[in-house]
Amino acid sequence: MNALKWWWGILLAFALLGVSRTFLPLPFMNEVVIFSIYAMGCNFLIGRVGYISFGQPAYLAFGAYACAFYLFYFGTNPLVGIMVGVLGGLVVSLVIGPLFVRLRSDYFAMVNLALAVIVFYLTQKVLVDITKGDNGLWFMTRITSTPGLDLTIPGQFFIFALIVALAVCAFYKYLDDSIYGACCLATKINENKLQFLGYDNFSIRLLAFVIANTTTALAGAMYAVYLGFVSPEMASPSRAADPVIVTLLGGVGTLFGPIVGAIAYTGMKDVISKLIGNWELFIGFLLVFIMLVADQGIWGTLAPLLEKLLWRRKATLPVATKR
Amino acid sequence: MSREILSVRGLNAAYGEAKVLFDIDMSVATGQIVACVGRNGAGKTTLLKSIAGFLKPTSGSVIADNTPLTGKKSYDIAKFGIKYIPQDKKVFFDLTVRENLELGSYATKDYNWDRVLGFFPKLQLLMGRKAGYLSGGERQMLMIARAILGSPKVLLIDEPTEGLAPGIVTQLRETFRELARSTALVIVEQNLPLVCAIADKVYAVRDGRIVAELVGPEEISVAACERYL
Amino acid sequence: MAQESYSAGCYEAMISTQLLISGVIFGLSIGSIYFLLAIGLSLCFGLMRIISLDQLLYYSLGAYITYSINLASGSMWLGVLAGTAFAGLASFAVERLIFRRIYSREPTFSMITSFGILIGGIGIIKYFWGVVPRPVEVPTLLQVTIFGTEVPVYRLIVVAIAAVVYVGIWLFLHRTIVGKAIRAAIEDVEHVEGLGINVSRLFTITFIIAGALSGLAGGLHAPLIMVDPSMGLETLAFVFMVVIIGGLGSIKGTLISALIIGQVVSLGSIIYAPMAQMAPFVIMLLVLLIKPTGLYGSTVLKR
Repeated sequence: MNALKWWWGILLAFALLGVSRTFLPLPFMNEVVIFSIYAMGCNFLIGRVGYISFGQPAYLAFGAYACAFYLFYFGTNPLVGIMVGVLGGLVVSLVIGPLFVRLRSDYFAMVNLALAVIVFYLTQKVLVDITKGDNGLWFMTRITSTPGLDLTIPGQFFIFALIVALAVCAFYKYLDDSIYGACCLATKINENKLQFLGYDNFSIRLLAFVIANTTTALAGAMYAVYLGFVSPEMASPSRAADPVIVTLLGGVGTLFGPIVGAIAYTGMKDVISKLIGNWELFIGFLLVFIMLVADQGIWGTLAPLLEKLLWRRKATLPVATKR
Repeated sequence: MSREILSVRGLNAAYGEAKVLFDIDMSVATGQIVACVGRNGAGKTTLLKSIAGFLKPTSGSVIADNTPLTGKKSYDIAKFGIKYIPQDKKVFFDLTVRENLELGSYATKDYNWDRVLGFFPKLQLLMGRKAGYLSGGERQMLMIARAILGSPKVLLIDEPTEGLAPGIVTQLRETFRELARSTALVIVEQNLPLVCAIADKVYAVRDGRIVAELVGPEEISVAACERYL
Repeated sequence: MAQESYSAGCYEAMISTQLLISGVIFGLSIGSIYFLLAIGLSLCFGLMRIISLDQLLYYSLGAYITYSINLASGSMWLGVLAGTAFAGLASFAVERLIFRRIYSREPTFSMITSFGILIGGIGIIKYFWGVVPRPVEVPTLLQVTIFGTEVPVYRLIVVAIAAVVYVGIWLFLHRTIVGKAIRAAIEDVEHVEGLGINVSRLFTITFIIAGALSGLAGGLHAPLIMVDPSMGLETLAFVFMVVIIGGLGSIKGTLISALIIGQVVSLGSIIYAPMAQMAPFVIMLLVLLIKPTGLYGSTVLKR
């Protein structure tokens, strides 16, 4: 019973996502699901640890390229590819994490953005021999179909992506509820006091950094398998703010913010690119607008209203039955 | 009795949700030294800050020299002649003593330093030194000197003698008396003997409220003040 | 035979010294551009505690105005002047409309907002000038000979302008009363306000100076590169690394690290071109490993 109570919100959300598949185009839905995984990591960093990272594309690219290298040069199994991608992200964040999480939050944001640009250069120019530069790595035809869910078929890939996203979402809900989640929030608010309680800020932050960026790498690997190719465009600095925008749009620190944000962002991108074509102009000013006026985000504004609605219904129900 | 220069009516202030000051009424006249005493956290500093405009009062009014100041920007209030001297003795460390004074002059357009240096002759010798290298007493002198340029109407001084050597405290006491000839002083102070020696009026602050008002030498005594600590 | 190989070796050595000298001059000019850009970012952080990514927009605007005026009037210097002025104006508008509302927030908050301005501004540039990269001709093709090496005069002019700006900024901050007030406000904003000085006016002045210098950097950089809409994003990482290595809020640190990064990029590309892009990043990581706030950054974050 308790388990149901814990799960129902997530299950409902993903059931809704699954149902929307019937009336919304499949590429759109796939994009939304992968993007929400991408934003979940960023959301955790911003909302729980207070680290705003403009370097998420870098970690996305680490995951994507690790997966792509495997699929292009070595194997053919997309599931293994995704695992390699996640592993790549894990290793990278374990290596650079200890250095990065020592930094003050403003330096952290800047260093990460620098990292994204460097990864962009790295994939585009420096490692041309293995990354094929701007041409990208194409391996769509190399991917073999997998038993059960066939990831080469977009329809079945969607189900797979949905399950992965659900697992990630549940994992973050679990983290939020745990002592560790509380510690993260505490480092964000007052790191000194947490230290006095006997917790180590450094390891809390490092763990959060690794978790969030491994999630991002997972999203990167999913992109690689879904699109069947990777290019330096992924780490392009002009897209550095995408996950941050999605997180803010959805509502920072909320469980479903990334999903709502991903739907809204991808939807707007599709519509506006078609209508006016000048996507940057729009997204730039949208970002400024969110920051100035609506920093609660969509879900951050909706959730309290919904809760109020539900709560009132519950409160009035017993009275109604008595009559 | 001389003219009332500063009057506070029904002042309420809060830090976010936490209310700190409740219905404060105060009256200060030119030539008066008014002291605020009370425990740590009673709201004395908040009181000075909300008069000086660093904290927007939630309700109530501050009127100085028949001009309402409530809601005005802090630099406008300072320009008008209500100068707040915080307790942290933070002069601008990277600037020389001269530059610190220049900034005071720049804001008030009062370039007559002779009067100010008359109060603190010692500063004359330290002009070229960076303020970061001054002693605590010298810093306090510089803070006051910087603030009294432009002959302010009211000086709000927060814990001026905290952490200073007794000799300097005595010197400051004379300075305050001297200053009070032309302006009004509101001093938040823990040093009760000093308060009793100079104050014309004492407000006792407790839990954000003024709980007592002592006027004149008959009422003001260390024992009387201690009752409200 | 031996004589011949000796003279060949001598010839080779001469080429490498020539390469070295032109590399150093090249690095100085690149470092000067980085310095002009980074000084704005650094000043804005020091005084207002904002991370103003939109400086890169004023940089692009400066370059584009230079391009357009140069095309119309034939004078690149007039273009640079107009670019600088326009960048200053644009930064004034942005400060009034947007930054004014967010000074009291966290530095990272301003970073997100300014990134929005940067991206939106790139959209505007694309609208007016299109996406095709534009060339700007170098105003003077003169060369001078330094130690037997031909060096383009334009690059020397760029270095000279940066030096003048550095001295000018120093004099402004140490010799004028507004500059002294800015230095005081970098230490403590509230105390400056308590003296009766309008701090928000200081903020506006600083922001305009920063924007104008970014525009100047863009205008001066235009003849050395192609002017294209994403030039700001491309320079962004290097300017960031300059600011981080130097330490946020330190002018001296910014100058030193801009010179270092300029040399690293320039001399690095002589040795192995792809490394030139990577080396500054490695240097930045090393500096942060030793001192997390950069070479001259203060360890305490006020406000």
